[in-house]
Amino acid sequence: METLRHLLDGFGVAFSPVNLLIAAIGSFIGTVVGLLPGLGPINGVAILMPLAFAMKLPPEASLILLAAVYIGCEYGGRISSILLNVPGDAGAIMTALDGYPMARKGQAGVALSISAWSSFVGSLVATVGIVLFAPLLAEWALSFGPAEYFALMCFAFACIAGLMGDAPVKAGLAALIGLSMSCVGLDSNSGVYRFTGGDVHLSDGIQFVVVVIGVFSISEILLMLQEHHSSAGLVTQTGRMMFNLREMAHTWWSTLRASVVGFGVGVLPGAGATVASAMTYAMEKRLIDKEGTFGTGDIRGVAVPEAANNSAATGSFVPMLTLGVPGSGTTAVMMGALALYNITPGPALFSQQPDLVWGLIASMFLANIILLVLNIPMVGLFTKILNVPNWALVPGILAVSSVGVYAVHATTFDLLLMVALGVGAYLLRKQGVPMAPLILGFVLGPLMEQNLRRALSISNGDVHILVGSPIAIGLWTTAALTLIVPFALRWRAGRGGAVATTAP
Amino acid sequence: MSDRVLGSVCVGTAAAMAWASQGYVAAYSYEPLGPRAFPLLLAVGLGLSGLWLVLRPSVGVEAFKGVPWKGTALCVGAVLLYALLFQLLGFALATMLMALPVGMAFGGSWKQALAGGLVLGVGFHFVFDKLLDVTMPTGVLSFLLGGY
Repeated sequence: METLRHLLDGFGVAFSPVNLLIAAIGSFIGTVVGLLPGLGPINGVAILMPLAFAMKLPPEASLILLAAVYIGCEYGGRISSILLNVPGDAGAIMTALDGYPMARKGQAGVALSISAWSSFVGSLVATVGIVLFAPLLAEWALSFGPAEYFALMCFAFACIAGLMGDAPVKAGLAALIGLSMSCVGLDSNSGVYRFTGGDVHLSDGIQFVVVVIGVFSISEILLMLQEHHSSAGLVTQTGRMMFNLREMAHTWWSTLRASVVGFGVGVLPGAGATVASAMTYAMEKRLIDKEGTFGTGDIRGVAVPEAANNSAATGSFVPMLTLGVPGSGTTAVMMGALALYNITPGPALFSQQPDLVWGLIASMFLANIILLVLNIPMVGLFTKILNVPNWALVPGILAVSSVGVYAVHATTFDLLLMVALGVGAYLLRKQGVPMAPLILGFVLGPLMEQNLRRALSISNGDVHILVGSPIAIGLWTTAALTLIVPFALRWRAGRGGAVATTAP
Repeated sequence: MSDRVLGSVCVGTAAAMAWASQGYVAAYSYEPLGPRAFPLLLAVGLGLSGLWLVLRPSVGVEAFKGVPWKGTALCVGAVLLYALLFQLLGFALATMLMALPVGMAFGGSWKQALAGGLVLGVGFHFVFDKLLDVTMPTGVLSFLLGGY
C-alpha cells in the first residue's frame, strides 16, 4: 500500500510539464541514438550526461532524461536491424535474424510495429517488476555493513567478468584499470595525493565526465572509421504498417515469457540487454519453433528479442537504485551522473529521496507510452535519420562531446585528457578489452576502497570481518561460482564447444 | 602477439603503480588500512592479469587487422588539435576546423565537410549558448559572439 502511495507521488513528479517534456525529448533522442549503427545506449547516455548537468537540470530531471534515452535506445535499435540488417545497438542483434527477412518479404511495417509493441510490453513488465521488487531489495540491503558492501561489489565484478565476455581475464583487467584510475587524486581519509604526478588538475581526481566521454565517444568514433555501414541495403517498401490482432495473439505468450526472463537477466549484474535477447531467442526457438521458421522471418522471432532487451534494460535499474551497485555499463554511467549531484544511490535513496526514485519509476511508465507513440505512427520519421551521412554525424558527436567535457571545469587539460583516454580506450577495445567493467570499476572504486577501509577499521585490522556474516559468505560464494562455473563449462566443452558471441 | 604486448604494458604499469604507492603513507593514521593498501592490491591484480596475458595469449587473433591507419591517424590528430584550440579559437571556429578533416575521413567531400562544419559550429553555438544555457567558449570571436 505504501508502495502505491509512493508511486502516486512519483506520478506527481513525472507529470510536471518540465519532466514530461524531458521524458519526451529523451525518448526521441534515445530512439535516434539507438537506431544509428555504432551508437548504443551507453554512448547516448555518456554524451548527454554532462550536457544535462551543464544545463543545470535538477537531479530527477537529469535522471529521467538519461533513463528515457536508455529505454529509447532499446526501442530504436530494432529499426536498423529490420530495415538494414545492421543492428542499431548490441541488444538488437537478434532482431535482425527474423526482422530483416520479414522486411524483405514486404512486411517491414508489421515487423516494426510488432517489435515496438513487444518492446512496450517488455518495458512495462519490467517497470512493474521494479515497483514490486525494488523496495523489498532496498529494505533488505539496509542491513548491509561495509564488509557486505565490499563483498557485493566484488560479486558485481565477478558477474561482469564471468557472464560478459569470453575473455574473463580481459574483463577483469578492464575492471582493475578502472579501479586504478579512480585512485588518482586526493585521498580524503589521510590527505595524501595519489598518482597525480604533482599536477594540480589531477588533485581532484580524474573527472568522471572526461573518462566516460573519452571511452564511449572518442574511442567509439575511431572504431566507426573501420566499421561504417552504407544504407545501400535499406528496405524502403514497408507494406502494411500495423500488426493485426491475430499476429498479436500469435506472439503474445512468447513476448510475455521473454519479458519476464529478460527482467531477471537484467537485474543480475553483468548480463544486460544483449545477453537477455540472445538467451530468450534461443529459449523460444527451442520451446515453440516446431516448424523451424525462426530465422526465416518468423514474427515471434522479432517480438521475443525486443521484449527481452527492453525488459533487461529496465531491470538493470534495480541494482543501481536499490544497492548502489550498477549492474551494467549504462547504469554505471547514470550512477556517475548522480554523483555529480552529490547523490549516492543505495538502499537509503528510497527513504531519503523518494521523489527522485519514484519520479524516475513513474517517468519510465510515461516514457514507454511516449515511445510507443513515437515508434509506431511516427516510425517513418526515424527511418529518414538512417540517411544522415557519417561525415555530418561524426563531427556533430565530437562537438557535443567536447562541449559536455568543457562545461564541467572549462579547462583545456580536461579536453586533452579526454582525447588521451579515448585513444587508450580505442587501443584496449581493439584488443578485446571490454569497456563496461572499466567504467564500473571507475564508478565503484572509491566506494569499494571506503567500504574496505571502514570494515577493517571496525574490526581493528582483522580481515575476518570480510567473511563475518552469512550475507557476506553467500556473496563471496556466489561470486566464486560465477567465475568458476563458466570456466569449467568451457573447459569441459573443450575445443568443439560453441563460442559465445560477445558484445562489442 | 598483441596480447603479449598488452600484458607487458600491464605488468610495467603495475610495477610503476606499486613503486609510486610506496610513498603513500599518512602523516597521522587513524585507521588500520592507509591510503597505500588499495592501490597496492590493485597493482598486484593488474600485474597478475598482465602476466596471464603474456604467458597465455589468445592465438590466431589479429587485433589490428584492417584498421584504416591513415584515416584513424587523421582523426586522432584532428581531435587532438580540436582539444588544444577549443578554448583559444572558441567553439564555432574550432569546430569548423575539426569537421573538415574528420568529415573527409568519414567519406565526405571537402565541400560537404566544410559546409557541415560551418552549420555545426555556428548552429550548435547558438543552440547551446542561447537555448540550453551552456557556457560556450567564444575565443577569438568573442568580439562578435560575446563571452570570453
